[in-house]
Amino acid sequence: MAATAKSRKYLYIVATVVIVAIIGVALYYFLAPPPPTPTPTQPTAPPAQKVKIRVQIGWSGKELEAFDLAVKEYLKTHPNIEIEYVIMRAEDLAAVLPAQLEARTYPAEIMVTPWSWFIVEQAKKGHLEDLSNLLPWGDFVPGYTDLVTYNGKIYGVPFGLYFKPLWWYRKSVFQQYGLSEPKTWDEFVALLDKLKAIPQFKKPVVIGDTLGWPASDVVEGFIIALGSPDMHSALTKGTLKFNDPSVQAIFRDKLVPLIKAGYFSEPVEWTSAHELWWNGEYAIYPLGSFLASMAKDPNDLGAFVIPGSTGLIGNVDFFFVSKYVPDDLKPVVYDFLKWLATEGQVVMASIPSGRVPTWKKADVNKIYAPFRDLYQKAVTGYKFVPDMDDTVGGDWQRLFWEYCKVLFTSPDRWSEMLTELTRQHPATKG
Amino acid sequence: MRRTRKQIFYFLLPAFSLVTVFVIYPIVYSVILSFLDKSTGAFTLDNYIRILTDTNPLKALVVRNWGPTPPWGALIHNVIWVAIHVPVTVFGSLLIAYLLKYHVKGGNLIKTIMYVGMVIPPAVGGLIAMFMFYERIGVFPIIFGWLGVESLSKTWVLYRETALWALILGSIWVWMGFGIVVVSAGLEAIPRSHIEAAKVFGASSWKTFWKVVVPQLKPVITVVMVMTALWDMKIFDFVWASSKGGPLGASNVMAIIMYDYFIRDLNYNAASAVAVLLTLFISPIIYIAIKRMRE
Repeated sequence: MAATAKSRKYLYIVATVVIVAIIGVALYYFLAPPPPTPTPTQPTAPPAQKVKIRVQIGWSGKELEAFDLAVKEYLKTHPNIEIEYVIMRAEDLAAVLPAQLEARTYPAEIMVTPWSWFIVEQAKKGHLEDLSNLLPWGDFVPGYTDLVTYNGKIYGVPFGLYFKPLWWYRKSVFQQYGLSEPKTWDEFVALLDKLKAIPQFKKPVVIGDTLGWPASDVVEGFIIALGSPDMHSALTKGTLKFNDPSVQAIFRDKLVPLIKAGYFSEPVEWTSAHELWWNGEYAIYPLGSFLASMAKDPNDLGAFVIPGSTGLIGNVDFFFVSKYVPDDLKPVVYDFLKWLATEGQVVMASIPSGRVPTWKKADVNKIYAPFRDLYQKAVTGYKFVPDMDDTVGGDWQRLFWEYCKVLFTSPDRWSEMLTELTRQHPATKG
Repeated sequence: MRRTRKQIFYFLLPAFSLVTVFVIYPIVYSVILSFLDKSTGAFTLDNYIRILTDTNPLKALVVRNWGPTPPWGALIHNVIWVAIHVPVTVFGSLLIAYLLKYHVKGGNLIKTIMYVGMVIPPAVGGLIAMFMFYERIGVFPIIFGWLGVESLSKTWVLYRETALWALILGSIWVWMGFGIVVVSAGLEAIPRSHIEAAKVFGASSWKTFWKVVVPQLKPVITVVMVMTALWDMKIFDFVWASSKGGPLGASNVMAIIMYDYFIRDLNYNAASAVAVLLTLFISPIIYIAIKRMRE
């Protein structure tokens, strides 16, 4: 009995020590001082010894090929550098990077995302390098560095301007049926009507699906065309509400009747949608200019914008760098970034990558010919607005994607969509 | 040689230490986190209030204004999942295992095929389930297309009206193999003489199944019920791979909400609050399981 009592005593002591330790450790984490705020690091000359840089990218196919072309060009003059690709899409990066940065680590020295809000969010937490002095930003298409500026400091390098949504069609198919690009809204509707009557096509227009951005791009395109680029910008900022009568009219009178008329498919996985469209199951595929990089025969590609559009969504990817990259590696990273943002963009735009440089000093003759006009428009101030959901971000981004997808399956719920998008917008919620 | 309690205690100490560090500590820490404010670290109930009152359909545990179709909120979806999945799995596996054992030649081969759903990773199971309900390629939309039911010959996971039901039906397919194997093992323990005696006394197949077989399988049925309910309550990868909880939260479940708060928002406090709630809902099931095991 005495032995039992003694062993119980030991048990109680150990259990008490363990519980006190748990509470102690938990309290330590909460009472510990926050990590120091980052200090901006200025680029210096790269070292001469052999170094490896990891670059996270989310591209594939021709886009990756175009980027690879740019990288190889750089390596010709920098044989001491080795570049390793870490393939992660923006959504995958967004899922893991916040936790990694909290743990002072990162998947690659140079990372890329089209989501400016995501970069700003990480910058607010002090995880990113200040890139304000990396390049003369006046040499770049205006507006984009503003999206990744926090407290007056720039945290992202705008790269590879692409446009959306372009309404892609195959020239050979349009020729076969004697169709032409619409110049007015009525012609646009008439074209959809004609396509609907052609038995070859399951539906005139295929809507892409992944997280929801192909559908949201289409909706944004209608807002720009039937409202205006300014209306699009105001909705992004939250200065105009989605349930405003002017916005409601676009949905109620124009977009929803088109969906109800059966011109659009339900959302189809976007790469499969591309295959189905190319193989002639659908006539039109509204998607970004990067579709040019996916096409089997770029010469057979034709594209138009919704008649009446006085602007387009012009989106970029942003390169950014974690604060936790070792100091001795930073000069190499900066040197590579500078080249990518300038000459590298020109190399990437020289083949059908669907992108044009954000760098205004690019030699226009080196850009893939069908995109030279868009590049000229970009550098001379054509109305390009940044992608709405990529700019607002957070929970609202996903909500917008989901509602846009649902719009193409249940168009009757458009009013609920506009009410909820208004209610959940950060400008409304505060 | 008889060991003293002190010796036993020392032998248990390494295991106890590991459990403390890797199981007890995270649990206690999660509970503490769930009651602390994200910014100030002060004690608060706000995390629970927030997760229970969030009106964003992608994050709502319980939707305020219920409509006739989902989304109804992740918590409600989990409960519905249990309410449908558990009885269907239990009755289905009982019936199939019984028929395969006593009435079908080559039953073992069929059992093996049906167990495939359990062998594949849940994420792959989710993808297969999604394709089972995909327009033109999925077996269900094709059948409903033949029958002329237009509203069900589309891609189920794209529509709020059908997404949740598609996933529940898919999960039944994935999980049924487990139920059948467990029930089959239980059936092996029933002496064949019991079945034959029932036949001699003129009992029909149904009566033999219901009055002789089922009562003797009660412990096995409990295991199937508890394991299925636990799987349903903590389900994540299956849903994530097939619908990510969409469209518009129509197939959302609590584990996805927890993941969202944790990974996307880095709001460990709110994520912990969801985890604690999830644990509270699972606890009665675990209690029943432990009680039955003791019996």
